[in-house]
Amino acid sequence: MLCDICKKNEATIHIKEMHGGETHTANLCAACASEKEKNGELSALGFNLAEMLCNLGKISSVLKPPQEQTQPERATVCPNCGWTVDKVRNFGGRLGCPECYKVFAPMLAEAIKNVHRGSVHLGKRPQSASHDGRAALEAELNNRRHELDALIKREEYEEAAVCRDRINQLKAELEQLTNGEVDHE
Amino acid sequence: MNDDIDQLLRNRVSFLADAGPDEDIAISSRIRLARNLAGHRFPVAADSAELHGICDEVSEAARESGALGCPACFSFDPEKMNELDRELLLERRLASRDFLNRPTGTRLLVKDDESRSVMINEEDHLRIQTMLPGFQLDAVWKQIDELDNQLGSRLDYAFDDRLGFLTCCPTNVGTGMRASVMLHLPGLVLTGQITPTIQGINKLNLAVRGIGGEGTSNQGSLFQVSNQSTLGESETQILERLNTVIGQLIAHEKNARQLLLQRDQFSLLDHVGRSYGTLRHSYKLSGEEAVNCLSGVRVGVDLGMFTALNIHTVNELFIGIGAAHLQKAAGRALNAAERDVCRAALCREKLKA
Repeated sequence: MLCDICKKNEATIHIKEMHGGETHTANLCAACASEKEKNGELSALGFNLAEMLCNLGKISSVLKPPQEQTQPERATVCPNCGWTVDKVRNFGGRLGCPECYKVFAPMLAEAIKNVHRGSVHLGKRPQSASHDGRAALEAELNNRRHELDALIKREEYEEAAVCRDRINQLKAELEQLTNGEVDHE
Repeated sequence: MNDDIDQLLRNRVSFLADAGPDEDIAISSRIRLARNLAGHRFPVAADSAELHGICDEVSEAARESGALGCPACFSFDPEKMNELDRELLLERRLASRDFLNRPTGTRLLVKDDESRSVMINEEDHLRIQTMLPGFQLDAVWKQIDELDNQLGSRLDYAFDDRLGFLTCCPTNVGTGMRASVMLHLPGLVLTGQITPTIQGINKLNLAVRGIGGEGTSNQGSLFQVSNQSTLGESETQILERLNTVIGQLIAHEKNARQLLLQRDQFSLLDHVGRSYGTLRHSYKLSGEEAVNCLSGVRVGVDLGMFTALNIHTVNELFIGIGAAHLQKAAGRALNAAERDVCRAALCREKLKA
């Protein structure tokens, strides 16, 4: 679908407005929408389209807008670096120190989920990190499953069997951890 | 430090001058890893003393580990450098604009062949970079993984069991890995297929940018394809996804070039010939015109139109025609008009055969 304004670019933004029971739809390309927003023609829609466009793919666009934050959330301050919710927003979603991930965890969880393909780290771990915790086991399980697919594709069945056994072992270890957590509760 | 810059300038840029797989279309492959030190504020929140302390700690780890070939590696403190030398680092893709704009407490360590480098205190404490010619992300990953291990065994990285490597911006959290390949896609540009192709790639959660970064047009038909998501997949899975898409993109570009040769041979030859003519016989060349013409000549080299001209000469010219490189070569500051004259002279000289 082409943009309603320039009639050249593909429309990627579709805005629906309700007026007295009638629905009006505007189909715009990013450039025209940004231009309209700059001229203030879209301000009546109640959100900052320019910010949304500029930060597309950036974390700040998916953080909760300030008016939706509850009072305690807004008052949160990182005890380690003094970073605040307002600073997170003002610095385009950037944090002040590694501790901020714990302090602002509720606010970040949704944003991280929207930006990434998953919410658990499945990649490499530093040598000093624990290798028997739940996340480490999940990471290895993911990698082994991937490896198993590749081995089967290459018809290397002996290695595939070893890999399958390790997968079953990892699953059992994870189940044990889960049961342990339930018992503990 | 001036000696280091002069030495760097005399260097062959290995990722442009050496041969690599699929080099007719893929110019270079690069991976960057974002790492931070536990117990320190991120650069955006740290004061000058903390930043300088981090520079020393990372430099020491690099020296001890022998990573980057240190102590024989180059070490640059941008705050002590003049504007021209800083721009030179940017043009050689060793430093980012954000890094150079930081007022204090930054340092760049570079291996002598420029294949490996570490920006200290860019957005994160460490931005480790490895670059190789052509399309070979797996080889780049092998190198950077090793470099990361060497540094990581001496530094206490900020790491969370579930979120992975903690970065200043949560868009990089997890693997902290940004892998990219610089592609030359004139076939897709000339056949008008580039826009739908880019839209398709974007839908796969990968980013495509022009050569000058976000928002730049099809200048020189050069594009950089990179991953966006850094969490929820292992490094190998991210690279596999990128490899598949880039492999297909390279095949599309080859088809597009064939299609042009079959359907509109003379337009393609004319495009290449005019590009060569301009570079070979001009006395004033703007940066944009030079990049576009080099792009045209690069296609000609691939088509075998210039037997005496090497694709690496063209690759190296993409950097040599940069404003900072021209001024360093001239040994003095040049205004825009003077740069255009020097740029034309350089192209005439290099393409003389």
